[in-house]
Amino acid sequence: MSGFPGGLRAERRERLASAMAAEGIDVLVVAGNPWRSDYLRFAIDVTLAEGQAFAFVRRDGGTRLIAENEAEAERIRVEQPEIEVSGSRSPIEATAQAIATLGPGRIALAPFAAIPCGLATEPLRASIGTATAMLDRLMLRKSPAEIDAFRRAASLADEGYAVFCKAARVDRPEYALVADVEAFFRSRGCPENFQILASGGREVRGMHPPGERRLAPGDLVTTELTPCVDGYYAQICRTLVIGDPNDAQRRAFAVYDAALEAGVAAVRPGVTAGEVAKAENEVFRAHGLGEYVTSEYTRVRGHGLGLYVDGKPAVLEDVELVLEPGMTLIVHPNTYHPEVGYFVHGDSLQVTAAGCEVVTHTPRKLFSVPGN
Amino acid sequence: MRRGLISWSRDEVAASVLDDRVSRLQAAMRKAGLGAVIAYTSFARPSAVAWLTHFVPYWNEAILVVHPAGPPVLLAAFSKRVHDWIREVSHVGEVRAAPDLGRAVVKYFDEHPAAAGRIGVVELDALPWPVAAPLIDRHGVSLVDATSVFAGVRQPADEVEIRLARRASQIAAGAFAAIPAGIRRASQLLAALEGSARLGGAEDVQLRLAADLGSEATLRRVEGDAPLANRHAVQMLVTYKAACVRVTRSLCAGAAPRSWQAAAGWLVRAGARLGEDGLATGTADPAPGRISFWQIESSLGSQPLSAVAGSQGGVAPVLPAGSLASLSVRIDLDDGPWLGGGALQVGGRAADAWIAQESSE
Repeated sequence: MSGFPGGLRAERRERLASAMAAEGIDVLVVAGNPWRSDYLRFAIDVTLAEGQAFAFVRRDGGTRLIAENEAEAERIRVEQPEIEVSGSRSPIEATAQAIATLGPGRIALAPFAAIPCGLATEPLRASIGTATAMLDRLMLRKSPAEIDAFRRAASLADEGYAVFCKAARVDRPEYALVADVEAFFRSRGCPENFQILASGGREVRGMHPPGERRLAPGDLVTTELTPCVDGYYAQICRTLVIGDPNDAQRRAFAVYDAALEAGVAAVRPGVTAGEVAKAENEVFRAHGLGEYVTSEYTRVRGHGLGLYVDGKPAVLEDVELVLEPGMTLIVHPNTYHPEVGYFVHGDSLQVTAAGCEVVTHTPRKLFSVPGN
Repeated sequence: MRRGLISWSRDEVAASVLDDRVSRLQAAMRKAGLGAVIAYTSFARPSAVAWLTHFVPYWNEAILVVHPAGPPVLLAAFSKRVHDWIREVSHVGEVRAAPDLGRAVVKYFDEHPAAAGRIGVVELDALPWPVAAPLIDRHGVSLVDATSVFAGVRQPADEVEIRLARRASQIAAGAFAAIPAGIRRASQLLAALEGSARLGGAEDVQLRLAADLGSEATLRRVEGDAPLANRHAVQMLVTYKAACVRVTRSLCAGAAPRSWQAAAGWLVRAGARLGEDGLATGTADPAPGRISFWQIESSLGSQPLSAVAGSQGGVAPVLPAGSLASLSVRIDLDDGPWLGGGALQVGGRAADAWIAQESSE
């Protein structure tokens, strides 16, 4: 029931083996946990629900996994019988011992974000940067099969936003909206979704997990939905008003919509992520809102998508990563607006040879739901 | 990668309860000669810090610094604009912006040296390398593992945590009751459970499913869909206000077979007798089949639940009486496998051991 097409699993493994050969790596030890399963998913097609796990990926094909959670070990054993899976309540110690018995050959650890302190010992510590960069390169530029999964996730995000709009009614608590959306995603076989939201007015400075606040007429309700299909995440950001939007809300929307359009228009091969951010931010500056594109009010102007919800590149003006065909990201000029509060608006896209293709299709408008 | 309701209800968890927990840790620190204890928190490892402060990082990471006296300090990698939300949902003395978490901790200890010199780290080995590297460079041998110091104060559970765990168990029970009759797909089952649990106020819900007990009893993380056989089993890991329980049920259309009723009855009795020595006491009452798997888990560190005893590793008498635990069991009956489990207090009064009424049919 892992649901992952075996062909894509094999394709990724082949790409990884080639990259390991190019780097001279014989055994790659890949760490993962329920938050950072992306590298593990790429390397051996495993997404963790609980505990830590460490995969030993041999360039010549053999794979071993040490999993902390016994239930995880058991189900991975069943899902992928070709992997030698063992459970250990001390997985870091067990992995260190297994590394010590590997024998000759170049061993590398990855990724930087998930390798625990207990494994980052000399001389392997020095390999973490190189191996992580190798995997990042592989994961940044998606194959057609990966793009297909991303596009299906984007379609699900569109459907999810329609469910969110229907769920947003006066007097409902924020967490009830998330309950409706999560139930919908489950009904479509979607195992993961990253979602945050906010409701209210000028006092709202950002999004967060759902609380107990109840929706009220006049509220701006923001959300970002990030469903996952076959391991790949796509995201949509939209804002709705409870009741009819007022003039300030309409004016604000016009700025964010223009910024999103400018950002998307800037995306093409050869352009840096920083140039995309600059295109978005210039719209705010032209409207006298330059202060609100700083880190005081916003985090990023978009980010990469794929096997992780918040991947590379970060879309910020100082990021020099050059976009290439096959990269997938969201452009979202989300930030605080001094007249109406925090406002979000963003679409997922893939970089193509000619420019880009937006893959979320929810209308770019300021949504409104009945205020009574 | 999901988060539901996160809020701090002072009626359910008074600030004094969190203060008491921090005080317990501070007393243990002083006894162990530690000048400070730090606990890392992230989506994957939220539990230690949540128990002390009610703070749950929904996507980023943070480190809690506890000194031998005074309120704890949270160094959070979140941007400053999230700090108001952090203060709203948690109980800490100070929140500091720490975009580069490891370096921020080093800077903090430069400004606020640990009194006794040694800094205890909860689960030092598991600290992510980007966070650990600057700390090790600066403090090296002063860093010691404080996993056992923390675990020593984490259980037994206080009354507040038992109440929250009971609510989590009730959320799970409500979700099972919300399953529509006649469903035939895994996606329908999981959608009903997920929707009900989230509406019930669950902070987090993890679902595993054995879709056809006639062919396989492995509980899987479901990605996509599958046909649902007449006999299947579901496991829910439910977190409510940082209290976590694991509930397992075998389900079938119509009345439960007599063999299942016998297994469920045995589980209730075995759990009620669960002592400090694990399931050994409970097995004095023979199970109605072969116990092919059993596991006792408890919240002892940064992960929601950690295995402390079970068929995979033997009995480890590590939980003090009154500890909150989750028991999961798989029994091979004459007519196929049966799975069950729930949350209980070990070593307490037998009649009150299960924190919510268990059943399985």
